[in-house]
Amino acid sequence: MLKPGTGFATMKCFTHPLLRRLLGLSPQSMPGGLSQSKGPILSPKWSSLRQSCSARPGLVTATDAVNYWQKVFETNGIPEARESSEYIVSFVLGAKTFQSLNSKSLHTPLTALQQEQIQQLSNKRLERMPVQYVLGEWDFQDLTLKMRPPVFIPRPETEDLVSLVVEEESWKCEKNSDLCFPVPVPHPVILEIGCGSGAIALNLLCKLPQSQVIAVDKEKTAVDLTRENAHRLQLQDRIHILHHDVSHSSAKQLLLWGPLDFIVSNPPYVFHEDMASLDAEILCYENLDALDGGDDGMRVIKTILALAPSLLKDSGSVFLEVDHRHPDMVENWLQAHPNLLLVLRAIHKDFCGKPRFLHIQKQSR
Amino acid sequence: VPSLQAAGKNSSSNLLGLTEAELKEWFVRGDGPGGQATNKTNNCVVLKHVPSGIVVKCHQTRSVEQNRKIAREILQEKVDLFYKGEDSDVFKEKKALEKKKQEKKRKAKENLERKKQFKEMQQLNKK
Repeated sequence: MLKPGTGFATMKCFTHPLLRRLLGLSPQSMPGGLSQSKGPILSPKWSSLRQSCSARPGLVTATDAVNYWQKVFETNGIPEARESSEYIVSFVLGAKTFQSLNSKSLHTPLTALQQEQIQQLSNKRLERMPVQYVLGEWDFQDLTLKMRPPVFIPRPETEDLVSLVVEEESWKCEKNSDLCFPVPVPHPVILEIGCGSGAIALNLLCKLPQSQVIAVDKEKTAVDLTRENAHRLQLQDRIHILHHDVSHSSAKQLLLWGPLDFIVSNPPYVFHEDMASLDAEILCYENLDALDGGDDGMRVIKTILALAPSLLKDSGSVFLEVDHRHPDMVENWLQAHPNLLLVLRAIHKDFCGKPRFLHIQKQSR
Repeated sequence: VPSLQAAGKNSSSNLLGLTEAELKEWFVRGDGPGGQATNKTNNCVVLKHVPSGIVVKCHQTRSVEQNRKIAREILQEKVDLFYKGEDSDVFKEKKALEKKKQEKKRKAKENLERKKQFKEMQQLNKK
């Protein structure tokens, strides 16, 4: 039996005063373009779906369910209607994606429990909850991580940030192996600023088995989630997770493990004026502090770069994910602050061709 | 983009290598700003080998990077098959697998026959 959700228009998030100010809303009005209805518009009930859909009345297959919920999502203006229903149905069947399900799974009737689970998850999606929060998990490269609002959901572009750090580390090792005398196996010490769910930190630990990672976040919810994910992946012994705000706390404790080889970060870099145009999924469920980079999106970037020289070894590197407008801005800023001895070594594009990642290096004196 | 080994896990095998220059890749991401400002979950990768025209679509995982890797592996197998035909390791492995399957079926059938005959013999002895 379908139960209407609480309805998008009455969602708690839109009553939050801070968010209303951000969106330029008066205390009473609702954001334009949003449904003012009492609840989501739902298509005919499950029971009539059972009768009308598959070959045998009373039986619903995975494919039937995906098609049904896709229509419901579309009718209710939920973005990525097809993708959302596929991920939810696949999840209930124990698979990651719809394409990975075999033919048998696609045509086997769903149990009553499975249908109930699909409905419960879909109701959450009907409230514009991001799929990753609906499922409570998501994948980042080859790791599956727990996801929980309001901790920032890792974006697919950021997978390449991890690859860049790994490549730089292996290039350094190669360079060392060219030397004619034996060099000790490197144990890179990496600091991640703003670890969120732990996606970057935990991936680096997996790909660089000799590395040590210090992960910090100013949000307690993020620190807790990173810790939880570290335990699930049995990496808790190699990661140090600190509740620390780099903008307001002394950096001394970040040097407990010695000067760093790498600082890596996906800092909040959205321009403040762009915040209001973000999708409801983001505005209503994710921590906006993880996104808002101030007027020019550079506030936290500048903090990290100002901090870097006192934390990094000579020739140590900072890897940052940024907005596509930032590379020039960062280069200019570094040139205006020559005392930092930081140089922009490379700008890397993301898989959509946008300049996305900066490699900045500390020059030796 | 950070270097993605076009040859994938089969770089040490006999399969024809693919270079990134001969590949064209598409992602269903839309025109949005991308990065933090977007939270799209469509991670499907479409990969084309331009010289042969072969196209592969991959949505096996929830990770873009993993889908890109897998797409390259699948594409490499298809391209190898396309150019080498029966000489391709892909073809040979498939044939070997089929043969194994048929052998298994044949043996199972044989066992069934033998059991049947044994039972019939038992019936005869009883009389």
